[in-house]
Amino acid sequence: MATQDVEAAAPPARIDTEAEGPTSERPRRQRYLLWRIAGYILFIGAWAFVSSLTEPYILPSPLEVLREMGEVVRRDDFWINVVATLRHLTIGFTIAFVLGTAIGIAMGRSPYWDGFFRDYVMLTLTTPGLVFALICVMIFGLSTLAPIVAIVLTSFPHITVNVVEGVRAIPRDLMDMATAYGVDRRTRIRNIVLPAIAPFLFTAIRYGFAIAWKITALTELFGQTDGVGIQIRVEFLFFDIAGVLAWAFFLVGFALVMERLVLQRLERRFFRWRPKAYG
Amino acid sequence: MDTTVGSGRVARGKRSWFQRTFVTPQAARITAPVLFLVAWQLIAPLIPSAILPMPAEVAEAMWEQLRDGRLVEAFSVSLLRLAIGFAVALVVGSILGLAMGLSRRIEAMLHDFVVVGLTFPYLIWGLLVAMWFGYGWIGPVLVVFIAGVPYVILNMSEGVHDVSKELRDMAAAYEVPRDRVLRHLVVPSLSPFFFASLRYGLANGWKGLILAEVFASTSGAGWHITSMRDYGDFAGVVGFAIYFALFSIVVERLVFGRLSRRVFRWRPELARGMGDPPELLV
Repeated sequence: MATQDVEAAAPPARIDTEAEGPTSERPRRQRYLLWRIAGYILFIGAWAFVSSLTEPYILPSPLEVLREMGEVVRRDDFWINVVATLRHLTIGFTIAFVLGTAIGIAMGRSPYWDGFFRDYVMLTLTTPGLVFALICVMIFGLSTLAPIVAIVLTSFPHITVNVVEGVRAIPRDLMDMATAYGVDRRTRIRNIVLPAIAPFLFTAIRYGFAIAWKITALTELFGQTDGVGIQIRVEFLFFDIAGVLAWAFFLVGFALVMERLVLQRLERRFFRWRPKAYG
Repeated sequence: MDTTVGSGRVARGKRSWFQRTFVTPQAARITAPVLFLVAWQLIAPLIPSAILPMPAEVAEAMWEQLRDGRLVEAFSVSLLRLAIGFAVALVVGSILGLAMGLSRRIEAMLHDFVVVGLTFPYLIWGLLVAMWFGYGWIGPVLVVFIAGVPYVILNMSEGVHDVSKELRDMAAAYEVPRDRVLRHLVVPSLSPFFFASLRYGLANGWKGLILAEVFASTSGAGWHITSMRDYGDFAGVVGFAIYFALFSIVVERLVFGRLSRRVFRWRPELARGMGDPPELLV
């Protein structure tokens, strides 16, 4: 999703632009709004059609899933579980961010630490989350440590990788010049280091977060007493496809709202001073 | 890594024998796993051994898994599923991605679904295919496809956008034939994106597959590790987890590291191992 911002900031030349000269982003968006709506209608139509062919419990219709979502929200334990999951997510992600940033800075600055952490980062980045979820549940059992440690282990490398890139993007010549002119350390960090690293930090948060909420649900499913994951497991054990889909849409909705409305907006506000925001 | 070794600080004064041998990035790569093993050996006895097995027990379990063929069987079943699912994802994803790159209308129609596809947790897909298709091959293969295809679509459509407008205009002005435009302009600028879609599509297809196997199959690596946990064979679980880690190191280092260096010899900035350019990470 790194590309979206660049696109929004400077619409790239398209191949089928209908030779009309430069148009601003807004009317262009409206022009394709119909196509966008058509996509949704097609999708929901296809879903409704397929569900009308099958038994209702195999593929519930879109309306049924919507009804189920309303029912799930009204359950007594809905907010208890959501809050439990959010608590795991917040604690775990905060630790992962601090740890990931620290390791990233160390790796970016020193070849020694780069060598030290390189393999850890790579293999935690590529090993399936299930493996970490199982081991954490095995070691920590039903304690809240299980999801928290699983979140830290799986999302810190995404943060580290981006921070390393950020540290390497610090303009060395500017730093050298600032040192030569006797600029003090605080000013250097504020005016050179932070602006260079900031876009990478935002990317780090977005990627890390995208992993973190998924591993939270997964770990909860395998070994927790509360949380969204265990609710999904219950729906699965009762063979309630509408229920699983309802929770899935809640999760995806939450992730998209966080990503699009919260993080991206924050990022855009933060970078308003520069002409083109980095991914 | 290679670029940072020499360009950093110049050695201050003379380094001792110890520093020259152990305080180097190469030595650090060995120090890290050794330290990890030592820490594990020290910490494991503090926790009841049924929960956190000792390194020696895990090594024994790993040897067992290798000897009785469970390891090879589990991974070969999973890899075959990955190959089938991802081959389909590559074909379908390339077609949709190129279509999205070439037409703004198709892009408007599909874009939101690709984003949701990227966000949708594999856990949910795994549960759904288990309920729809039961145990077997259809579920896991389908999840590989579902997990891999958005990455292929996004990267291919980005690749089309990336083809320089100026160069295309110039080619049109000089009436360069279509096949030569494709050969010399479109394919070279698409290739890093194709490579990225392979890399991220496969990585995520693998993650989705492992999860799907837990719920929707009775074979494969994902099912194997979960069933060992259900039997309380904790040394087996940790041993298998280490095989997972070794597998990803081998793939990353030998396959993608080598391959990307070879494919992008002409664009060295794309061939760096870990620090991928942000626009390819998607």
